[in-house]
Amino acid sequence: MKLLLAGFGFIGKNFIRAVNEKITLLKSVDRDFKVVGVATSQGVLYSSRGLDVDKLSRLEKASQYGEEFEFGGSVKEFLEEGDADIIVVATPTNIETGEPGLTYIRTALKNGVDVVTADKGPLVLEFWELTRLAERNGCYLMYEATVAAALPIFSLYRECLQADRIIRISGILNGTTNYILSKMFFEGTSFELSLKEAQERGYAEKDPSYDIDGIDAACKVVILGNAIMGKKLRFKDVKRRGIRDVTQEAVELAKRSGYAIKLVGVVDDEPEVSPRLVPLRHPLCVHGNLNAVHFETDLAKEITIIGYGAGKETVSAVLNDVLSILKKRVIR
Amino acid sequence: MTLSLPDRPGQLLKALEPIAKNGGNIISIVHDRNKVSGEYALVSLIADFPSKESFRETRRELEGIGISVVKSEEVVAKEDLTVIVIGRFNLDKIVGRGLRIIDVELSNPSSEKPCMKLHVEVPKEAVKGFYNLLHELAEKEKALIITPV
Ligand SMILES: NC(=O)c1ccc[n+]([C@@H]2O[C@H](COP(=O)([O-])OP(=O)(O)OC[C@H]3O[C@@H](n4cnc5c(N)ncnc54)[C@H](OP(=O)(O)O)[C@@H]3O)[C@@H](O)[C@H]2O)c1
Repeated sequence: MKLLLAGFGFIGKNFIRAVNEKITLLKSVDRDFKVVGVATSQGVLYSSRGLDVDKLSRLEKASQYGEEFEFGGSVKEFLEEGDADIIVVATPTNIETGEPGLTYIRTALKNGVDVVTADKGPLVLEFWELTRLAERNGCYLMYEATVAAALPIFSLYRECLQADRIIRISGILNGTTNYILSKMFFEGTSFELSLKEAQERGYAEKDPSYDIDGIDAACKVVILGNAIMGKKLRFKDVKRRGIRDVTQEAVELAKRSGYAIKLVGVVDDEPEVSPRLVPLRHPLCVHGNLNAVHFETDLAKEITIIGYGAGKETVSAVLNDVLSILKKRVIR
Repeated sequence: MTLSLPDRPGQLLKALEPIAKNGGNIISIVHDRNKVSGEYALVSLIADFPSKESFRETRRELEGIGISVVKSEEVVAKEDLTVIVIGRFNLDKIVGRGLRIIDVELSNPSSEKPCMKLHVEVPKEAVKGFYNLLHELAEKEKALIITPV
């Protein structure tokens, strides 16, 4: 299968490095697997014979690859002309327009190209439209990395909980806020100071509202609600309160009573993101920049998974999605 | 509760009907035939009802079909809750309503963002209402309520 990568930023580059590292595995599943293109905001790098991923994995910019890079090249044309079988979408998240990811995903699915996305914007806005589009065109649409990055949430649900009815999902879905709250918990620092340190360490953006006002976590609640609980959720349906008003004293009072304050996203009849008291012995009580997702189901009762909700580890989810598709598509 | 049933076949079944209808879950039942007093037999049972109201309705219905309740005792299941409030908040507005305050801890009471830990006991059936009330009051005062997961 021929793979096109859209976005050569943090995730895109780390994805290519992982492909390079795991190329033997990928080829063992699909002898003809190759990366044929990389699209950035400036243009498209393309080689029908397949790009040299080892060389690519050492580049800062896709345009440094050589003359195969076409400035102004268009992903749309690429997809429409059947130059790719699968697209990995690692473009910047925009939850207002979903772009550029949304157009890429729509175009891919309409042209019978399978999709693996790390960009959650398109799913937050148009989960059901895209799911139907994929079904109609006989394509796979996979998105493991969009919620709690490296944690296998959708795979777990799809493969291991097939008979279970999911009653409720709750989770620590944002690593930045968990880092801030953990610092307040362990070091007794103020919210402002903890946020500043998160920014210095590169965990939080200069404009941190996306994380600390619970926007990012609410996006994940939307995807979980739609994908796992079959709801018709939109962003505005999620009640949301961030952690700006959580004081050092509150964290201290909670701690003395055996709780940590965490930003928790809940998916049930009243989807919500808000600071909550999590008992110190509860499985959701994880610290630092870890994420945790807790399922309540009728048969298994309770399952919690814990791991990295951002960073390089994210490519584990992306590559697993790619491999799952390869395994289904390749006839041996 | 202890019921006094006419000592005739089929009476026990008849008595169980209103209990089931009102959502009562029978935990134990003792039909003591030795305690027959005249034409009546005594039955003692323990049941779990979804609310006080459903228990009372059951009692009314039992009396309605001629079964007298000779003794009854209500034990209300309670839940122990801790919540944290950041911001101004008037405790007076939540007292009563079957709520028992176990302990209150204040931090920084005179500052702009006072913080209070509330440890209370609430009847199980009133927990949701209690949370709703808290959130309603907090919204008015622009306070932040942090409840357990
Ligand atoms: N970072 C994480 O830990 C993580 C975890 C889970 C999910 N994600 C998601 O993964 C996606 C990528 O994240 P990231 O951290 O890699 O972001 P990033 O470093 O900002 O990379 C985004 C890349 O997309 C490129 N791009 C912008 N517009 C484009 C367009 N129209 N067509 C093609 N490429 C375009 C950018 O190229 P230019 O540099 O040329 O503008 C950049 O290389 C985001 O949606 C993010 O939410 C990230």
